[in-house]
Amino acid sequence: MTVYLVRRLLTLIPVLAVVVTVVFLLIHLIPGDPVSVMLGPDATPAQIDATRQALGLDRPLHEQLVKFYARVLRGDLGQSYFLDRPVVTALLERAEPTMVLTFSALLVAILIGVPSGIIAAAYPGSLWDRTLMLGALLGVCVPGFWLSLNFIYLFAVRLGWLPAAGYASIFADPVAALRYMVLPAVSLGFNQSALIARISRSCMLEALQQDYIRTARAKGLSTGVVTWVHAFRNALVPVVTVIGITMAILIGGAVVTEIVFNIPGLGRLIISAVLRRDYPVVQGVILVTATAYVLINLAVDAVYVLIDPRIRYE
Amino acid sequence: MSMRPHRRAVLLGVASLVLVAGSVLTVEAQKKGGILKVGNLGEPPALDAHWTTASITEMLTNHVYEGLYSLDNGNRPIPMLAESHTVSKDGLVYTFKLRQGVKFHNGKEMTSEDVVASLARWGKQSIYGKALFAQVADWKAVDKYTVEMKLKEKSAIVLISLAVPNNFGAIYPKEIAEKFAPEVKATEWIGTGPFKLAEWKPDQYIRMVRFDDYKSRNEKPNGYGGGKTAYLDEVRFQPVPEVATRVAQVETGELDFADDLNLDAYDRLKKNPNLRPIVTKPYYWLVAVLNKKEGLMTNQKLRQAWQAAIDIEPIMKNVAGGHTEFYRMDSSLVPPEIAAWHTKLSGLPWNEHNKDKVKRLLQEAGYKKEPIRFMTTQEYKWMYDFALLTKQQLEDVGFTIDLQVVDWATLVKRRNNSKEYDAFTTGIGAFYDPTHPVFLTPSWPGWTTDEDILKLQAELARETDPKKRMALWEQQTRQFYEKVPVIRYGDLFGLRAIRNTTKGFNEKTERIRFYNVWVEK
Amino acid sequence: MSDAAVARSEVVTRNAAARPSWLARLARNRNIGVGAVILAVVMLAALLAGVASTHDPRRLNPAERLKPPSAANFLGTDEFGRDVFSLVLYGGQVSLLVGATTMALTSLWGIAIGLIAGYYKRVDLVLMRIMDGLMAFPAILLAIALMAARGPGVGNVIFALSVVYTPRTAMLIRSTVLSIRELDYVQAARALGRRDLMIAFRHILPNCVGPLLVQASFIFAYAILAEAILGFLGVGVPPYVPSWGNVIASGKNVIREAFWVSLFPGLALTLSGLGLNLLGDGLRDVLDPRLRVQ
Repeated sequence: MTVYLVRRLLTLIPVLAVVVTVVFLLIHLIPGDPVSVMLGPDATPAQIDATRQALGLDRPLHEQLVKFYARVLRGDLGQSYFLDRPVVTALLERAEPTMVLTFSALLVAILIGVPSGIIAAAYPGSLWDRTLMLGALLGVCVPGFWLSLNFIYLFAVRLGWLPAAGYASIFADPVAALRYMVLPAVSLGFNQSALIARISRSCMLEALQQDYIRTARAKGLSTGVVTWVHAFRNALVPVVTVIGITMAILIGGAVVTEIVFNIPGLGRLIISAVLRRDYPVVQGVILVTATAYVLINLAVDAVYVLIDPRIRYE
Repeated sequence: MSMRPHRRAVLLGVASLVLVAGSVLTVEAQKKGGILKVGNLGEPPALDAHWTTASITEMLTNHVYEGLYSLDNGNRPIPMLAESHTVSKDGLVYTFKLRQGVKFHNGKEMTSEDVVASLARWGKQSIYGKALFAQVADWKAVDKYTVEMKLKEKSAIVLISLAVPNNFGAIYPKEIAEKFAPEVKATEWIGTGPFKLAEWKPDQYIRMVRFDDYKSRNEKPNGYGGGKTAYLDEVRFQPVPEVATRVAQVETGELDFADDLNLDAYDRLKKNPNLRPIVTKPYYWLVAVLNKKEGLMTNQKLRQAWQAAIDIEPIMKNVAGGHTEFYRMDSSLVPPEIAAWHTKLSGLPWNEHNKDKVKRLLQEAGYKKEPIRFMTTQEYKWMYDFALLTKQQLEDVGFTIDLQVVDWATLVKRRNNSKEYDAFTTGIGAFYDPTHPVFLTPSWPGWTTDEDILKLQAELARETDPKKRMALWEQQTRQFYEKVPVIRYGDLFGLRAIRNTTKGFNEKTERIRFYNVWVEK
Repeated sequence: MSDAAVARSEVVTRNAAARPSWLARLARNRNIGVGAVILAVVMLAALLAGVASTHDPRRLNPAERLKPPSAANFLGTDEFGRDVFSLVLYGGQVSLLVGATTMALTSLWGIAIGLIAGYYKRVDLVLMRIMDGLMAFPAILLAIALMAARGPGVGNVIFALSVVYTPRTAMLIRSTVLSIRELDYVQAARALGRRDLMIAFRHILPNCVGPLLVQASFIFAYAILAEAILGFLGVGVPPYVPSWGNVIASGKNVIREAFWVSLFPGLALTLSGLGLNLLGDGLRDVLDPRLRVQ
């Protein structure tokens, strides 16, 4: 297991090398220029050139790329053009909101998805099954931002139950944090619960067909015990995979949710950074989310072993 | 007296003012304390007033810094950090007396050396500063509270340049002004304003807190100047880029004030008993800037054809969300809110939508349906809207428009390259002097290099007699519509909303200021 | 209890039934039937936009802006007075084109990369690291960056989404190839001296068709949804080109003054997604019972 993990961690290096290079080339290929944005609509080309020089943006691209590699290896992601702080600081400031949002949405997705899937699988073909699965299908297909905007209107503006948008740190004010997080977590989680529900259902169906379940039934165990204890545990492996994938998706999917609900997380940071051509920030965020993605995948594989003793890694 | 709440401030004692609202005699007392939450559309690129022309920076920095001059109700210069000034008989030497005992947020007293260092930096970076310092021969401190500006030639723009709020001549402590080169943005923010910067958490908030040692002028509030009192403990500027969210948050009371709302929300905001929508006048006039350096639009006939083709009212009405409250049909290049330079000329070829004239001009121009590259962006929705409507109108009368919708960062980059476009959209904010419009300069994108235009601009900068200047400005306006350096549409207004608990906000000024504002909750 | 019994009996009958040809099973699968019908209706509506639409979807008509649904405008008008009904019909052409082309491109690229990687161990390592790298980008961020680099345009949206979704297909094909290439008949073909390309097309590719079809139908659904998200963020198809994403995005600011602008294209989008997902689920059930688990 340890050998396996180390080997997996080593494969991280080429993956991240690909990511770093692609990001750098991509962001610099994008037309547009941070300086023109920063200096405002009335700035003259002469002024813009002077500031570009001051930021080193007039240097040839390969020179900038080499410098970028050198800095990344030293763990330095550079300085944001707009935010007047190192990229690492900016990332750390935004990590909390995104993580809180991701985990709450994941929680919502699991809380809705797994039970729906199990109930649907326990009574296949029933009205329950069809309703839940139709709901799950709709969940996959409805555009998330559209749902979010309607949620804001209904629950915040019309009913006044929850704030429309914003963020409070969970460490500073847990109650406010919870109130702010409900709508975004539900709208983001609902979308993802659909996938989890469908996978849970099919895995449960699969598991329920296995011989040992028939044996359990033959022993006279109740449906409940069979479903929850025997079948569920075995259906868990693919479900964990999907939860892992979901989490990876959520990191990216949080972008739109963060914008609509005005959550100061990584998603909003990267969108504004792309729009303003804050190159160091774009590079930093992508590098960090990509690393997170790879690590999550690794964690998922590790969890398999814990759940299913049949799986062993060399 | 108009029916709209009319505000007149009466000075009572040192710092207490009484507000008289229209004819209803509701006396409201100012209260110290409270936090005001303000929703605006994004992050500033910098909090260095000298460095950028971005309007968000203008709004924020004017709470923290002050200049030597400011603008009154009628947008005329009035002293702010300056006490007074004298001009030598030949008009070549301006001597400014500074106010004494004005403190910076770091406790240091503001003196002439700070002023000299700050304005020297401003003169190298700001568009207004550069225009002014091009005429300056010598700029120095005479004593602790006196500075002197020697000019190369007579100038009409000294005071107004020191008073404009955008890209303004903010006074920083000498150490900061000298520490940051003009082209490098300052990242230490210390001014003399009624609020000081407490914390900047990007994408969350910029917190400004009351500066208790602020030394107010003794006059009553007047436009952007006069007496300023910070009643609020704190103003919290929260960027909320998604406009639908910004509207929702001011409706729910999560924000006390929200700027740049979508005009379609106006009717709904009007019905909400807890808040009041405010029409921001002036805001921008819509403009298509034409590339006069290279390509199709170097042809004056073609520019005139565009100008003759457009039917402006339906465009403005659509952009204004169907509300006639939000646009104004006026050919003057300066809005009536800036009375000194508002022109009332008739017979200008503006809003003609004359098909025969267009046909004739297109023929004379030798235009053969070559596609005209017209750049716009969705980041400012009104720009995209009027560009799209323009495309249809122009194509209906024989133009071919290649509408290129790009993001703002691309647009502001590409517009500096004369090879990449024929026209682009932007907005022209209010300018306070006839020498200030960037679209009449050879250095700004679009490149107005017409000798006649530049000659008049030079004369306007030299001429100091107000009457003669106005005559020159009228001449320049006529010339504008003949030479068509850019296409002027109509005046668009903005929409902001304010909760009823927010008191004392000056609704008459175009730019947002939160001194003299207090909250009742 | 009785439900469980039903379930069991269902399972039993399914297992007991003689396995009919996959074509017959395709026809019998209810998900596929419903999904195909929904999709056919949506596609037909889009194809017939030229005939069925009542207005020119690009024609602005400021005097008629934001009118609610009426006899003149079945689904109302948008903020420029364009007819929403016609916009939805024509928007379908663009959105479905984006979805279908993305699907086709990802399948093509995915097959090529997957076959090569699965077949040639030497390039496998390099190709898969690149795929890993691309997968490690959050999909929507990669799409946004690509769009920003290449500018708005239907072709660019298709390109960006294809780049984003290709790694998934490539990985799928590769794993299928890996499991098949060791099978006896493939080894036998190789022993007979058949060329690699021949083997790939004769023996390996047919085995990939099932999983590929399933994957492709989901990518189609993702792609039309992603088009809408890019439209919302303002980096998709040029905003004056009618696409469902663009119409929804333009309606978002007036969602409370004029719900119809975003509702109807939203419904069209959801409906197509529903059809595609049903189709995908059905195909999965029929073509590859093992795959259903994943």
